[in-house]
Amino acid sequence: MNQEELNNRLSDIKDKLFAFEQTLDNRIYLSCESENAYAVNKFLFEEVPLRFVIATGIDSDDCFEVLYHYAYDQTSCVITLKAFIRDREKPAIESIAPFLPAAEWIEREIHDILGIEFNNHPDMRRLILADDWPEGVYPLRKDSKKPADRPDGEPPACPMVQSQSPARRTVQLSKPVLPVGPFHPLQEEMEFFQLTLDGEIVTDIDMRISYNHRGIEKISESLQFDQVPLLVSRICGICSASHPLAYVQAVEELAGIKPPERALYVRTIINELERIHSHMLWVGLAGHFIGYDTVFMWAWRYREPVLDLLEEITGNRNNYGNVKVGGCREDIPNELIPKILKDLDLIEKKVEMLTKAVLDDPVLHARLKGVGVLKKEDAIQYAVTGPTARGSGVAIDVRADDPYAMYADLDWNVITQPEGDVFAKAVVRLLETLEAVKIIKQAVKKLPGGPIAAEVKEIPPGEAVGHTEAPRGETFHYVRSDGGNRPVRHKVRAPSYVNVPSFRASCIGQHVADVTITLAAVDPCYSCTERMAVVDSRNNVIHNYDALLKFSREKTARLKKELGAPELKLEDI
Amino acid sequence: MSWKIWSLKKSVWVFHVNTGACNNCDIEIVDLLTPKFDVERLGIKLVGSPRHADALLVTGGVTRQAAPRLREVYRQTSKPCVVFAIGACACDKGIFTTGYHMVGPVDKIIKEIDPNAIIAYVPGCPPKPEAIISGVVTALSVL
Repeated sequence: MNQEELNNRLSDIKDKLFAFEQTLDNRIYLSCESENAYAVNKFLFEEVPLRFVIATGIDSDDCFEVLYHYAYDQTSCVITLKAFIRDREKPAIESIAPFLPAAEWIEREIHDILGIEFNNHPDMRRLILADDWPEGVYPLRKDSKKPADRPDGEPPACPMVQSQSPARRTVQLSKPVLPVGPFHPLQEEMEFFQLTLDGEIVTDIDMRISYNHRGIEKISESLQFDQVPLLVSRICGICSASHPLAYVQAVEELAGIKPPERALYVRTIINELERIHSHMLWVGLAGHFIGYDTVFMWAWRYREPVLDLLEEITGNRNNYGNVKVGGCREDIPNELIPKILKDLDLIEKKVEMLTKAVLDDPVLHARLKGVGVLKKEDAIQYAVTGPTARGSGVAIDVRADDPYAMYADLDWNVITQPEGDVFAKAVVRLLETLEAVKIIKQAVKKLPGGPIAAEVKEIPPGEAVGHTEAPRGETFHYVRSDGGNRPVRHKVRAPSYVNVPSFRASCIGQHVADVTITLAAVDPCYSCTERMAVVDSRNNVIHNYDALLKFSREKTARLKKELGAPELKLEDI
Repeated sequence: MSWKIWSLKKSVWVFHVNTGACNNCDIEIVDLLTPKFDVERLGIKLVGSPRHADALLVTGGVTRQAAPRLREVYRQTSKPCVVFAIGACACDKGIFTTGYHMVGPVDKIIKEIDPNAIIAYVPGCPPKPEAIISGVVTALSVL
């Protein structure tokens, strides 16, 4: 289907809409009343069909808006459906989660932050706000004030195991206790997972987020357009090049700014360097999870030259702060180019070595193949992105589908694997690292002269979206401006937000020993499992994270023995 | 110097607590373990339980959901315990100061339950691994 056919297809639903606006060839905005939103969404997702990206809740002056963003990757089109809720007293809209599981989390989030009710939602528990957040305070409403830090009276005890929603409850939990050691030094962020087990098989999984919720979207509304990139680069330290780039592209689209070519090349190079360091970080952690600490040390050792290059270019090992609206802040000095090429040669050699080690190792084949399979249908239902989708045979990559920076002018391939298991995802990431090296080499050699930033005057009123391919998948930003010097709404969707809920599809039915690596295979932006409690429904035993890591490593050791694999020697590396 | 402090300063075992950081300080802390910096050669070791720790490496500006957990982790450490606030957010909430879900910074939360807590600050966004090592060494040398 080309763009014209897509437009015709969309006009089939015209009677339910009251506005159809096309700001660019590949950016379409549809508007409807909240009563029609369910039908239009069903049409967009099931009939056209489009890929669901995220929804945005907005507190407008006289109404609430819920924006549903969809992408049609074949024509690089982003379609936004705006549903207007006129009743400000009791805002409500029909939930789309029953046919679109990818929307489940975002509807819970909008309910938390704006107080919009989603009728017929399967599981409307609190998602993003803390357990002791006062009821009836909706932080993203324009008139909202920050509540007191501490609730009155005794602070509530930390509930270590959360109660499941009645609809989903498969097993009655006895009063649970979490053992010591909820944090593990190699897990970076706080996160809580609850697995229900029958013997060794996982029968249910539940998650609690909020530990890391900082309210960035609200802070962004108080910063000027030019300050926001510095904030969004701190959403995630590992994606600190792709978030600002997505935001900046949205603002540039809004204001019609064309950055100079050299800036686009610099952006390409920095984003690909980020991809290399992120994927190597993942390879190391994955090695650690299954008991190959040598891989962990080696992968992280050869990640260092990448960080050094980033430091030389931008002045910081992470949080580069290098993109700004209209171009870049720091240039790549031409004298640095020979060093970049030399370091890339070393990195390429070492990544090839790691790739060969993974592809040839019979233990890894036995350990990772057929484990944590995310089927292609599930990948589409949960709207996953990045290596998680490409490892399940869904060939989506924003760099190819909606080319930005200089990706369209360079020669590289989108890597996909059909199997959907952990092994496939590992292969995708390793081969992608080699593609990234290829991209940077070409970009460095083609780097043109000239300025690195265009002049920016004013940001006009309007709205726009920007998306980039972060190491973990599509990073999506939506920016609305009223003509002032600050965004009135800035929505961020990080790739893990859609990838993590897919655990429901990939973990259930797995052995408990395979859970850590299955969860890690998504490369969740919070490398998250430290808050995991495993409840054995037969024996009522609760295992903590350390025990799980032990199970995982024992399984590798057992397989090694069975296969008669030799111990790894230093000269092999 | 009391013998407790004297023994604390030998081979510090540290426990890492993320209270809502952006991951940057955290990967720099993990980076300390890997071959380039390798802090284990100095006797500094990351441990898996606060009960084994001599020091807490706290990152992030403390979100509302994380604050009770941070208090609980600190309560579980054996005293004396040095709390290192690693990074701009842990020191003073950094760029997230105005966020509605932030209740930190780290020193405020820790002092609520222990007014005499030993707190050291390593600023930076993120602090370089060298800065974290230097911060730990400097703090221990003034104890």
